[in-house]
Amino acid sequence: MRQEQVHVIAGNVFAISDAQGDMEVDPQAPVGLFSFDTRFLSRWVLTVDGQRLNALSRDDMTYFETRFFLVPGAASHYVDADVSIIRHRSVHDCFHEQITVLNHSPKPADFTVRMEVGADFTDIAEIADFAQPRPRAVRIAADTDRAALVLRYERERFGRVTTVRSTAPAEVDEGGFTFRISVPPEGAWETTLHASMTMQGEGDRDMRADLESHQQVQRRGMADDLTAWLARAPQLVAERAGLEETYQGALAALAALRYEPLAYTDPVPVGGLPWAMGLCGRDSIITCLQSLAFTPELARATLRMLALLQGGQLDDDHDEEPGKILVQLRYGELAAFGERRNALYYGAADTTPLFVVLLDEYERWSGDAELVRELRHPARRALDWIDEYGDMTGDGYVRYQSRNERHGVVNQAWKDSPDAIADAHGRLPAFPRATCEVQGYAYDAKRRGARLARTFWGDHEYADRLDREAAALKERFNRDFWLPHREYYALALDPYGEQVDALASNIGHLLWSGIVADDRAEAIAEHLLGPRLFNGWGVRTFATDQRPYNPVGSHLGAVWPSDNALIAAGLRHYRFDAHAARIAAGIFDMAQTLGGAVPELIAGYERSLTKYPVQLPSAGRPQSWSSGALLMLLGTLLGLRPTGEDLLVNPALPTGFGGVELLDIPGRWGHTDAYAGDRSTHPGARPRTRRRS
Amino acid sequence: MDTTAARFLQDLDGSRRPDLAETTAGTLRLDMRGEGCTDHWYLTVADQHVRVTRSADDADLLVRADRAVFDQLTSGQLHLAEALLRNELTVRGDMALLMLLRRIFPGPADARHPRALGRAALAGQDKAR
Repeated sequence: MRQEQVHVIAGNVFAISDAQGDMEVDPQAPVGLFSFDTRFLSRWVLTVDGQRLNALSRDDMTYFETRFFLVPGAASHYVDADVSIIRHRSVHDCFHEQITVLNHSPKPADFTVRMEVGADFTDIAEIADFAQPRPRAVRIAADTDRAALVLRYERERFGRVTTVRSTAPAEVDEGGFTFRISVPPEGAWETTLHASMTMQGEGDRDMRADLESHQQVQRRGMADDLTAWLARAPQLVAERAGLEETYQGALAALAALRYEPLAYTDPVPVGGLPWAMGLCGRDSIITCLQSLAFTPELARATLRMLALLQGGQLDDDHDEEPGKILVQLRYGELAAFGERRNALYYGAADTTPLFVVLLDEYERWSGDAELVRELRHPARRALDWIDEYGDMTGDGYVRYQSRNERHGVVNQAWKDSPDAIADAHGRLPAFPRATCEVQGYAYDAKRRGARLARTFWGDHEYADRLDREAAALKERFNRDFWLPHREYYALALDPYGEQVDALASNIGHLLWSGIVADDRAEAIAEHLLGPRLFNGWGVRTFATDQRPYNPVGSHLGAVWPSDNALIAAGLRHYRFDAHAARIAAGIFDMAQTLGGAVPELIAGYERSLTKYPVQLPSAGRPQSWSSGALLMLLGTLLGLRPTGEDLLVNPALPTGFGGVELLDIPGRWGHTDAYAGDRSTHPGARPRTRRRS
Repeated sequence: MDTTAARFLQDLDGSRRPDLAETTAGTLRLDMRGEGCTDHWYLTVADQHVRVTRSADDADLLVRADRAVFDQLTSGQLHLAEALLRNELTVRGDMALLMLLRRIFPGPADARHPRALGRAALAGQDKAR
């Protein structure tokens, strides 16, 4: 089994090491110090008198700070060392490591402390693809006088530089720092190593130094920032043991996964560790939708950022079209030289309607009419995209097919693995494909666009048109996607209108979007919570009795908290409160059983079979939309819904969940509280609206 | 032969550009480095219009690159974001204005409309029948 890995994160800067704090190249895993998709340190190994160190304990203080307590020598025997070492590591835009050597003996002691340092400047995309990283010629300048080591990689004008400096004098060679030290009896020696990461811009400056956006970012203390973030979020008081800690953990994970893109000052969520540490349109939008009752500041920044990067031209390589909302933003060498075409990549059919959904939902919570007016033009262009570019065959459904045959994403909705869209027998439909949930998003976007047009843009004619189009889409969808004998909606339509008949979790999103005909909602709810889809922890992505089902297949059987959060919200939307509560209970059980940040997905095995949630190596954590899922599930259990200027609270807790109070929920009402008694212990909870400023 | 950036900007008409937001306004100066000299192009964006002049005045965003890089951007052979990451193009000032160039310059000439793929799929089925 692979050794435990330890990470520190600050936005898109992160370091992953082993349990001793050492970082060494592992072709299978992204070990090292990364920023903007580039590995700036690939070797970072500490020895004392030539010996590797052994961890006694560790203190993960916050997401950006860890302390390792270490002694020299092997772990196999009892350690009675006269020397111990503390590595105190933190990241913000730089990486810092304070090394303290403690002499516990009554005599002075001499040691040779060595930090081996190397940088290979690998693009994280190469590790993700298990590709053999290209060999890169790294120029190294060792400067003993300044106790500094500079590692530089250049390709044409592209340059990435790691500069490591020590506060204590050191002998510096091309492989690292050597400290020959003498520590007094019962005394200590220390140094701090700073590693700064430069993206070369004009002259030899960091390109970020020339950007106003970057200069405006205030260098607040990370600790103060985290404290303020947690203080701005509502406070949870819960009877259920451990729930408050799980909630705090989800908030802290969202704090960790905020970063400031090059062009922008306000932090937006990244996808998650380790593969998606940049802006991912879909993950970011979903995370914002999940967290509106808790951390609404994310939504405002994300909407503006996505509007800024909205597609401007037809471009096959980047699957770009005018008005389209991007799905991926990357900064690595492969992106820079067009080897992946993902510096700005637009291959997604769902991000554009979801952008409109988020804008409307954000206004309902925040009352921020100003932003709705400011973003009128990008929102209009997004709505136009649905019909002009999304509807590829002219049948009124939003479809996808990549125009980049080499590197384009095959499946361009949230289930984006190449085999994710298949029928019950495992046959793959032709392109362009129309998956069902994207039609739900398009319907929802048109309805919400109509509200925005009527209320804020003063365009009633346009609002009426959108409403008519939405109604027609709903009718058409309920005719063309419905499988009458199986009583669920087809996963997708192929270009000829043939149904892809698989039973999959996508039908839950349809409830969330409101496109399900009322008389069909019960059948959908029963399928979602039935034995083929529900595994005890949550709803599987794909139902069990179909040929492609695979409990460890990301989108063919695994269970995703983010998926489940939307499904539970949809169930409550159609008043299937007990169904929603069962999903929420299962996901909270999973999160609390595993502890720590919620993984992106778990295996689809039956809960009664494994008793314990089975984690998958492909699942990253923390992940913004997994952490956001817990927040959304809490909101769903409390039945939080903005209604006019008030917040409607209509709780429906799982039996035995215990009472829940959520205090100081921010929104257009100022701040307000929500209380939910557990009906099994406190009968008679009623919906109510509250306003408190 | 592809249009050069200079020719493209010279010929850019002053008509309304519905793809620009009404609320977007700002000035960009494009510094095109050539053999021994740099040409300055000054773009004033306001009210869904782009006005092009020749001036070395200060602007909200300064964009610098070799003339050949601007030519490639104009013909859609090089993507703005890639040029920036590659450091072939450097910027100073308000980065939010940079993406406007993506709308002002035309995209790749051979780009397909998604409907073309949809039509091809349907035609393929007709043939198979």
